[in-house]
Amino acid sequence: MLIKRAEAQAARRRLSSTYDGLSAGGFDRRAFLRSAGIGGMGLATLGTLAPGRARASGAATGVLDHARPVTRVKNMCTHCSVGCSVIAEVQEGVWVGQEPAWESPINRGTHCAKGAAVRELVHGDRRLKYPMKLVNGQWQRIGWDTALDEIAAKLGEIRGRAGPDSVFWLGSAKFTNEAAYLYRKLAAFWGTNTVDHQARICHSTTVAGVANTWGYGAQTNSYNDIRNAKTMIIMGGNPAEAHPVSLQHVLSGKEIQRANLIVIDPRFTRTAAHATEYVRLRPGTDIPLIWGMLWHIFQNGWEDREFIRQRVHGMEEIRAEVAKWVPDEVERVTGVPGAQLRRVAQMFATQKPATLIWCMGATQKTVGTANVRAYSILLLATGNVGSAGTGANIFRGHCNVQGATDMGLDVTTTSGYYGLDENAWRHWARVWGVEYEWLLSRFGSKALMEMPGIPTTRWFDAVLMPGEAEKKDSDGQAFVGQPHSLKAMMVFGHGGNTVTRMPEMVKGLEKLELLVVADPHPTTFSMISGRRDGTYLLPICTSFEMDGSRTASNRSLQWGAKVVEPIFESRNDYDVIHALARRLGFADRMFRDIEVKDGTVVAESVLREMNRGLWSIGYTGQSPDRLKLHMANQQHFDLVTLRGKPGTPVAGDYYGLPWPCWGTPEMKHPGTHILYDTSMHVKEGGGTFRARFGVERNGQTLLAEGSYSKGSEIQDGYPEFTVAVLKRLGWFDDLTAAEKASLERHFGANIDRAAWHTDLSGGIIRVAMEHGCVPYGNAKARAVAWNLPDPVPVHREPIYTARPDLMAKYPTLPDRRGFRMPHLGQSVQARSATVAKDFPIILTSGRLVEYEGGGEETRSNKWLAELQQDMFVEINPADAAERGIRDGGWVWVSGPESQARTRVKALVTERVAKGVAFMPFHFGGWMQGEDRRRHYPAGTDPIVLGESVNTVTTYGYDPVTFMQETKVTLCQIRSA
Amino acid sequence: MPRMKFLCDSDRCIECNACVTACKNEHEVPWGINRRRVVTLNDGRPGERSISMACMHCTDAPCAAVCPVSCFYTTADAIVLHDKDLCIGCGYCFYACPFGAPQYPKVGNFGGRGKMDKCTYCAGGPQQDNTGVEYIQYGSNRIAEGKLPLCAEMCSTKALLAGDGDIIASIYKERVQRRGYGSGAWGWRTAYKADVTA
Amino acid sequence: MMRALFAALLALPLLAGGALAQPAPSVRGAISAEEMELQRMLQGGRIEGRVSIPDRQSASLVQPAGKEWRDFHNRTLAWVGGVAVLGILAALAGFLGLKGRIRIAGGASGRTITRFSLLERANHWMVASSFIVLGLTGLNLTFGRHLLLPLLGPETFTAISIAGKYAHNYLAFPFTLGIVVMLVLWVRDNIPNARDIDWLRKGGGFLGLGHPEAARFNAGQKVVFWITVLGGGAVAVSGYVLIFPFAVTDIAGMQLAHMVHGIIAVLMIAAMLAHIYIGSIGMEGAFDAMGSGQVDYNWAKEHHGLWVQDVAKGHRAPPPGDARAYGAD
Repeated sequence: MLIKRAEAQAARRRLSSTYDGLSAGGFDRRAFLRSAGIGGMGLATLGTLAPGRARASGAATGVLDHARPVTRVKNMCTHCSVGCSVIAEVQEGVWVGQEPAWESPINRGTHCAKGAAVRELVHGDRRLKYPMKLVNGQWQRIGWDTALDEIAAKLGEIRGRAGPDSVFWLGSAKFTNEAAYLYRKLAAFWGTNTVDHQARICHSTTVAGVANTWGYGAQTNSYNDIRNAKTMIIMGGNPAEAHPVSLQHVLSGKEIQRANLIVIDPRFTRTAAHATEYVRLRPGTDIPLIWGMLWHIFQNGWEDREFIRQRVHGMEEIRAEVAKWVPDEVERVTGVPGAQLRRVAQMFATQKPATLIWCMGATQKTVGTANVRAYSILLLATGNVGSAGTGANIFRGHCNVQGATDMGLDVTTTSGYYGLDENAWRHWARVWGVEYEWLLSRFGSKALMEMPGIPTTRWFDAVLMPGEAEKKDSDGQAFVGQPHSLKAMMVFGHGGNTVTRMPEMVKGLEKLELLVVADPHPTTFSMISGRRDGTYLLPICTSFEMDGSRTASNRSLQWGAKVVEPIFESRNDYDVIHALARRLGFADRMFRDIEVKDGTVVAESVLREMNRGLWSIGYTGQSPDRLKLHMANQQHFDLVTLRGKPGTPVAGDYYGLPWPCWGTPEMKHPGTHILYDTSMHVKEGGGTFRARFGVERNGQTLLAEGSYSKGSEIQDGYPEFTVAVLKRLGWFDDLTAAEKASLERHFGANIDRAAWHTDLSGGIIRVAMEHGCVPYGNAKARAVAWNLPDPVPVHREPIYTARPDLMAKYPTLPDRRGFRMPHLGQSVQARSATVAKDFPIILTSGRLVEYEGGGEETRSNKWLAELQQDMFVEINPADAAERGIRDGGWVWVSGPESQARTRVKALVTERVAKGVAFMPFHFGGWMQGEDRRRHYPAGTDPIVLGESVNTVTTYGYDPVTFMQETKVTLCQIRSA
Repeated sequence: MPRMKFLCDSDRCIECNACVTACKNEHEVPWGINRRRVVTLNDGRPGERSISMACMHCTDAPCAAVCPVSCFYTTADAIVLHDKDLCIGCGYCFYACPFGAPQYPKVGNFGGRGKMDKCTYCAGGPQQDNTGVEYIQYGSNRIAEGKLPLCAEMCSTKALLAGDGDIIASIYKERVQRRGYGSGAWGWRTAYKADVTA
Repeated sequence: MMRALFAALLALPLLAGGALAQPAPSVRGAISAEEMELQRMLQGGRIEGRVSIPDRQSASLVQPAGKEWRDFHNRTLAWVGGVAVLGILAALAGFLGLKGRIRIAGGASGRTITRFSLLERANHWMVASSFIVLGLTGLNLTFGRHLLLPLLGPETFTAISIAGKYAHNYLAFPFTLGIVVMLVLWVRDNIPNARDIDWLRKGGGFLGLGHPEAARFNAGQKVVFWITVLGGGAVAVSGYVLIFPFAVTDIAGMQLAHMVHGIIAVLMIAAMLAHIYIGSIGMEGAFDAMGSGQVDYNWAKEHHGLWVQDVAKGHRAPPPGDARAYGAD
């Protein structure tokens, strides 16, 4: 009894020592004003602001002065992908207030906890204030020039010794589109494909799965369009916490349409609380569940036969696989009763339009791509793609993860999903105005130039394993498929606690020769390891302190205007990339067509260059001027269709010109609200499934049969447009002289091979659209994706499964290599049989509404930090009772690898089923029971620290994208 | 005269805590003081509901009734405010308040109470409207600017409604009729001796 | 017609919900918020849930007990306190008018005997003075609003009340210490015995039924002692619960503590008014016991004859803190 009281006091003391400062004056501006008086020196006197940054006194206190003028600046929330507009009230260069952005059709004035607290990000008491360097284990302040000079010199030295592929360029889903584009370009000019970002660990499997099904890896509809659905399934997602503002549309739809809202999740989430039907499944059994639904659908003839006939390839092979999933087997594997699943299947197939919403519960799996494919196939079988109220509503995670993915912060492609082959590089060389041969000379070799790089889920393995030139015979397969291992890592805007197997990651960190963390906050990367030298922290401002566009999950681009100047000594991404490029010797080439004014990169000019190159995904019509016009006229867009109302300056446009926005800005394409929607003319945002995989396979056509978008002159399927196709159709002479000249200049003798997406004039696209045709062709979606390891998705038990009895029947894929790395599947899974006894609880992870990503930014925000002060594990009351664990008590959660364990608080709740535990992934700063707060540079430690769930998560990767497995592993929980 | 009320539609509330941080943002409410909070009933079980709760600005406010120094007053909009210059931090209003609205900074002796702080319905206090002194003591005064409380304005799912009681009740009733369900308005019976069952 | 049907449909789940023993509905919409609030109010229960902030109190959504506390504070306590305090004052005034001051029957002898040592007196006055301030500042919280506020105006009244709050909080400590010391010093002489019954039967001599024998403390004084120690103890304990909010209990406990504190305090105030009366204007020679500590020999013989005998025989050690009693001649 007494011990527990003392414990409670200790916990209180620990926190009170952190928040003492908060209420005692240093952080509480109202209290500060009380002591200093209005009109005093303001925050500048706190000594946290560099003198030059303190604007006029008075307003600098962060308090709105009603007697003085106020400017309203519009930007977007920098957290999730919903894209909520933020209205900042600025007075004399200080952000003094936040007002609801009523006119935004996306959030209509509203926010979640994070969005309503973003103002604190640019007050930033705990922001990194100036560049720092680790010298013999101590943080030292240095100047920007020194930092960049030293970094560039070290990079050059490593490049000379180990080649360009020995540097890992980790980018960010928090970049603006322009910064993401520049960063990808920087990596290309440096000469490597090892450039990645958060999409790898959130929706890379979605992008791969969906793109391989119908063409593009993105949400097909929009948040707003969900209002049209009559049945919604949210499977593997908790938008109530991860995308709260999206629930505005989901719940409105549910109410107005009296729609079915079905939540399928192992955890009774805050979203499930609003469901009309909640289905609890065993983690990691999505495919059996989907096949179980399809079994009922096929059995009862609820499928959409006409849709399948016209627009889907290979559904027969799916039928064959689905036939194996009789209700009993589905229940044995997933735990879901047949009657419930039949009910859900019937609703989804017959109460249409129906949409399927998913997040990381589907994607962060060893079968992530196959999951996504199964989901897509369910949509195809029921004809729920390509019209209002239907579709794959994939809620992406970060504010610009869609845009950063589109910009190719991805080890498998250049910007715009052009891939890595010679054609792709030649296209970008043309866009950039550099010689292909020069670009090639930057890479280690042509083979490396066209080979996918090392993804962020495995970078530390690539540090710890030898390269081909370094390995010994005894290393076997444990080597990196490039000459040298990784020696240096450049991290921009990326948390260090977001990837599984953290104990291994720490070893990788310690072995790196150079680590550069460029971020508003020192992330976990900077303090979790025992590094003593060779580490730099560069203060980068948030997107509120710079101009730029960002792409929301629904593919709408929004232009954010700079709210305030970068605070402290921080700089924006553009300028840092530019400064680095200058020191690396290729700034003149890289910024050839980009305006740099007084050493500052002009964001608009970056977007214009993007407009000139990103034809493949229709990022070409969204000029800065058009985007700014949309931001200024948000109130003129329809809430449901997102279309600009007649008679307004944005009449006919879809909000944010959701890509594909075909052709040049002058063509005034309105953007595409709903992908693959044949009920619309292509010039009005209509479309078809993309012809991306050839025209024929095994004697069957891959082109659509009898289905075409409205107004199409070709009333059947057709391949993608090239000059050759135009000539065959007799449309070649519709091209203008200028367009023809451009084609001839760039392609010369190869002009016939110039395609819609490589034609820099946009002429091919223009002509195709004039004839009502979609530039990328009109094909069938693929139920069978023959290029993937599992062309038809099949169930595979998780690597660490609580059901070893199912392992023999549903094994994971055999060991293989990919992304220059070994990928062990079955040999690690074989351990499951033995560890499941000692680690009987399934561990899954996910988001909290208050925090985002690695959490350094949000855990440093006092308004958010107060709401979640401790890392916790959700545990079922039955499991807790067996272990003598009480709600709020400390427990050890241990994992089956690296003797990893974490000390967290128990949250005893029925949200999780017996045998399942849940941990949020935003915490960091503790490692296996050790509070490492003192390892942050003084004054930059987040208010709340805690164990990272990824300390106990384990091995396991999707074979297609190397997505990590965070949703199903095993653990044991004991009272601490 | 309008009669200002809060109404939380628990069939819409998702515990996103936007109301909480919006309040913190608007008024710079210090750590440890929660003018608004979200409570989840039946956590993790079917029937789970979250409700955002703050001072309800009751009719016949219990806080005002028990205050030993009579520091409470009701505005023409029926907003219950208090004068911090008169408050003695005795804590009586917390005992009487059905909603746990009064908050106290721990500044007194023995970690005791400082002057009470609570939701002002974004209506400031007895000081002159939108002045620095008012902001320091009570936070901003949106009502004087013709705006409504920021918590409700920023509610992610438009669950939290603020405004004239009749208007928000009719919005709520309309919603309930359209969707066919509604579990009623939390706190209304206690605060206003009224219900809004459609 | 539709409307009626709708109402009937809506009422159905309400009835079902009402029949549930545990108002935790298993079906969405099975019970309305208003209904649940009403039920909880009738049962006096709280509606509680989960919050993520570490403040346990905030997990309580609606606590109907606040209404009972309000009724207690504004009605019960005001009435009980008012009646007790005014009632005892009226009774004492009546007694004084009727009987007058009780004189020393044998007149003052001119010789004195030491009744209370310096320590005993100092301790008594520490308790007494803190009690008076505690009592007045306490009464102020219940009655000041009606009595003083109109006279003084809000600013002055608040200034006084804040000072009163601090005084009340700080004086709690000497008061408690004094109670403990009193217990140690006087508990031996305050253990009730058979003589006390006789003393009480004779009305302590006040009613003219003859003067009963008493040792160091008569039954009346013992009653005062136990009221002080037990009542004071209870007031102190409940007071500390209130000084350290939520350190040991939740809102229900705080409300209960306040009720105990308030009721016992006003009753003690009433009792102590009687004690003050008898120790001062009510009885000749009584004040000296706690004033100089020296009482007149005749007064002592009349009221505490057995004690005087004890002291005279030397059966009894001199009171602690004093070198020697010199009243024993």
